[in-house]
Amino acid sequence: MENSGKRIVFKSLIVVIFVLYWIRLINLQLGEKDYESIAINNALNKITLYPSRSNLFDRHGKLIVYNTHIYDLSVFPFEIKELDTALLSKILELPGADLLHLLEDAKVKAVRRQKNNANNKSTTFYSNLSARQFAFLRENMFRLKGFFIESRTDRQFASKSAPHALGYLGEANETLLESDEYYQPGDLVGITGLERFYEKEFRGIKGIKTVWQNRKYEQKGEVKDSQFNYPSVAGPDATSTLDIEVQNYARQLLEGKKGSIVAIEPRTGEIIAFVNYPDYDPNTLVGRSRANTFKSLLTDPVKPLYNRAVKGVYPPGSTFKTVMAAIALQEGVLEPETTHGCGGGYRLGNIRVGCHPHGGPLDVRGSLQISCNSYYCQVFRDVIDNPKYANVKEGYAVLERHLRSFGLGSPLGIDLMGESRGNIPSVNQLNKRHGKSWKSSTVISLSIGQGEILLTPLQIANLAAIMANRGWYITPHLIRTIDGITDTAWQRKFKFKHYTSVNPMHFETVIEGMAGVTLPGGTANGTGIPGLEICAKTGTAQNPHGKDHSVYMAFAPKENPQIAIAVIVENGGYGATYAAPIANLLIEKYLNPGKETQKPDMEKRMLESKIQ
Amino acid sequence: MNSYNNQRQESVDFLSVFLFIILIVLGFMAISSSTSDINWDHFQLSALATKQIFFLAGAFVIVLTILFSNVAVIDYFAYGFYGIALLLNILVVIIGHEVKGAKSWFGIGGFGLQPSEFAKVATALALAKFLGTYGVRFKGWKNIGISLAIFLIPLVVILMQDDTGSALVFLSFFLVLYREGLPGWVLLSALWMGLLSGFRVIGDFQGVSIYYGYGFLFGIASIVILFFRKNKAVIPLIITIAIASAAFYTVVGSAYHTILQRHQKSRIESVLGLKEDAQGIDFHVKQSKIAIGAGKLWGRGFMKGTQTKMGFVPEQHTDFIFDTLAEEWGFIGTTLFFILYVAFLLRLATLSERQTTIFGRVLGYSLVCILFFHFTINIGMTIGLMPVIGIPLPYISYGGSSLWAFTLFLFIFLRVDQVRK
Ligand SMILES: [Zn+2]
Repeated sequence: MENSGKRIVFKSLIVVIFVLYWIRLINLQLGEKDYESIAINNALNKITLYPSRSNLFDRHGKLIVYNTHIYDLSVFPFEIKELDTALLSKILELPGADLLHLLEDAKVKAVRRQKNNANNKSTTFYSNLSARQFAFLRENMFRLKGFFIESRTDRQFASKSAPHALGYLGEANETLLESDEYYQPGDLVGITGLERFYEKEFRGIKGIKTVWQNRKYEQKGEVKDSQFNYPSVAGPDATSTLDIEVQNYARQLLEGKKGSIVAIEPRTGEIIAFVNYPDYDPNTLVGRSRANTFKSLLTDPVKPLYNRAVKGVYPPGSTFKTVMAAIALQEGVLEPETTHGCGGGYRLGNIRVGCHPHGGPLDVRGSLQISCNSYYCQVFRDVIDNPKYANVKEGYAVLERHLRSFGLGSPLGIDLMGESRGNIPSVNQLNKRHGKSWKSSTVISLSIGQGEILLTPLQIANLAAIMANRGWYITPHLIRTIDGITDTAWQRKFKFKHYTSVNPMHFETVIEGMAGVTLPGGTANGTGIPGLEICAKTGTAQNPHGKDHSVYMAFAPKENPQIAIAVIVENGGYGATYAAPIANLLIEKYLNPGKETQKPDMEKRMLESKIQ
Repeated sequence: MNSYNNQRQESVDFLSVFLFIILIVLGFMAISSSTSDINWDHFQLSALATKQIFFLAGAFVIVLTILFSNVAVIDYFAYGFYGIALLLNILVVIIGHEVKGAKSWFGIGGFGLQPSEFAKVATALALAKFLGTYGVRFKGWKNIGISLAIFLIPLVVILMQDDTGSALVFLSFFLVLYREGLPGWVLLSALWMGLLSGFRVIGDFQGVSIYYGYGFLFGIASIVILFFRKNKAVIPLIITIAIASAAFYTVVGSAYHTILQRHQKSRIESVLGLKEDAQGIDFHVKQSKIAIGAGKLWGRGFMKGTQTKMGFVPEQHTDFIFDTLAEEWGFIGTTLFFILYVAFLLRLATLSERQTTIFGRVLGYSLVCILFFHFTINIGMTIGLMPVIGIPLPYISYGGSSLWAFTLFLFIFLRVDQVRK
């Protein structure tokens, strides 16, 4: 029968297709390629839960930095086939071309995000929606397929007076994204100040909510598996060492002048006030205005972002005499009673160091009270030309070692980034500068804190703390505690006492001199506060570019000191003109909290004065 | 021969019914799963699964009706069914409403009726009736012409509904005619011409020079000649075929570009997978393969197929229902399913062959060929071996029309088989 073969054809055809398709199934279902992971990735969306950063309190528990909720418009950028520019333009008040740019940016960011977290397919499109935009968007969300609103937090500063200490946040840059996969494009991180230094502590821990999400980006509920979900953990509350009242007052006193104020609690190294001027309003470096504000601050000629207190270096001027005296006493080339005369200056060959007219001769105490230059030229020479040492260079090296024990010439290690080391010239440096055959007379200006010696305002404040402590200091710092964090390296560091190479008893001699500075006969006479035993030293830092800088360091009270302070007012002239009144008013403020100043005229003068 | 007065009281083919029931149960499970939410606390039927229960109940009524009906009546009304089906299919072009670009649906109170599904069984009945008529053989221009017209007319009508997939199903009848005497070479030639046309359209679409086509054809011819060099008689035949193929390859391209309208071309291109429609065919095939691959050996478990439930696979409860089976039941499941489906087809082929009437045989083979066409295209599409042509997987896919029409088809044939002499 002709059809007998044809029956077989039908069944064979069926079997052939079956086998062919079955082989294909083997290939798909039992093959190497992990389609299951692809399927899971398809259907999950890991939504980042942003923690709020640490709240920051001052030393008395007053809130100084906190968080506000902000809303971002986020997007699944690769799902946007055609951007509804008309609607978005209306809501966001941006031209269509800008929106297309934003979408391109979002794509770049989304690709970055995929790298760090395969299931987070969305990214920020437009951050910090205004209330109007937020409301408008919420009404129109259903029209904007692939878009959604996300909530995050940003910073708010209760006090505007400490921007350089607290720092600001900015978007994580490429370097950070490369090095730390915790961060995703658009994340806010600390860029400067405490925000930067304690970024890891303050940022908290991001959480993840994993949801089923269908092809149309509709969420179909949470994935009920704990491995896919964990809540965000807010940054722990942190207590700063700042006294925000003193800080605010310091900021007011310095306004209109260029300079720095650093006040330290000597016993603990805790920084009570930390002010620079010019500065900026930290609340303008948040939210949508961040980028623009930053750009204008960066190009502002008065450098409002510049953190003088740790980056600025100044010749300490006569404040350095306290250190010279202490070292000379330690070296045994000076006794408290040693007197030297002064004929209006110090002459040695063709070198002349001038001095202001004063009575004499003076002992250590008087030399500090009156700030006699001649006296310290002599002391300096006695130290480095000490016959105990083979030559002047060995003598100088001994002086240098003593100076370094005061935390000079290297960063102190404050909890801020970018601290300058200042400069204590080494023998090598002096060789280079003055040729190999220099003598004590060649470098005589070092004796009065001029020449190659440069200190940061922080180092000068720390010198005041060393005097107050009679010979030791704890690294100055701005954070006292962070809840739940104990016994870390930085905490141990901020408890460690650094002893100088000078015996405590010698400091008593120096302090006797400092105690007279604000008294009649002292260089800062008239700036003192009745009833407060302020031990101080004025300085006038020579400034080759203009008027001298007014420098002042002090601590109080004399016994059991509570505060040590350094004030530098650039182009302020004598130390007693600006720096001393400001510092003394702050000491008063700190020691007599809540009370009116006893020197209202001086306060008024400081508040109103401006130096251009 | 056409008398059914002494109907034998043999029971309906048990194996076919058994496999049918297993298939519709599997289909229902897949539909329930693919249309329900991923997060559910207690089992709850989705709206579509609930609707499918209604369709299953309807199918049960159809089964009972057929089993208690007289085959003579079916035979008697064969042309009537065909006429009604044709009318409905023409009517739907005029008053039907559009679903996914195809104007092939009547809307009846929330339910849609797709007359093209019923045209398949009606056409099979008409062809069976015609070829089964005493004295009619598949010979002579008139009989061949009528036979072809019986299924090419509905094909054209359904093409007018813009439902290319359903229309192409009617090509299955060529296979049926093959069983009834259509020479194999005609079928092979047709297949060959179809392939050539496809390659030409794809080639032109992608800007491949026509000379590559010629080169390919004559290259193959040379190899074949080399292979048959001992048998000199075949060589002229091969050369003739090669030249004819080349000529056809040339002509079909010109014809395609000059005769067809733009929208017709675009439909062909989308069937060949050349044109991405709004949803993106590439994306769909990729997602379908991911779904199947994700099943691995044991499957992700009932109700756990995210690819299919979350909308990544298109039409997950209708044309791509196989993906749900594959994702949730894995290779074990798909292998079992293949065995069941193929066993079902082979059993029906056996039944077709044991028919004592041409009517029964044509009807049986029509069912086998149409089911086989659906299976090949539908599964082939999900595994990326066939172009994406939207036709359902009979007995498995969601939908009343398809289920009812194929149930009707199956049980009419089983009833015919039951009463064969
Ligand atoms: Zn003097």
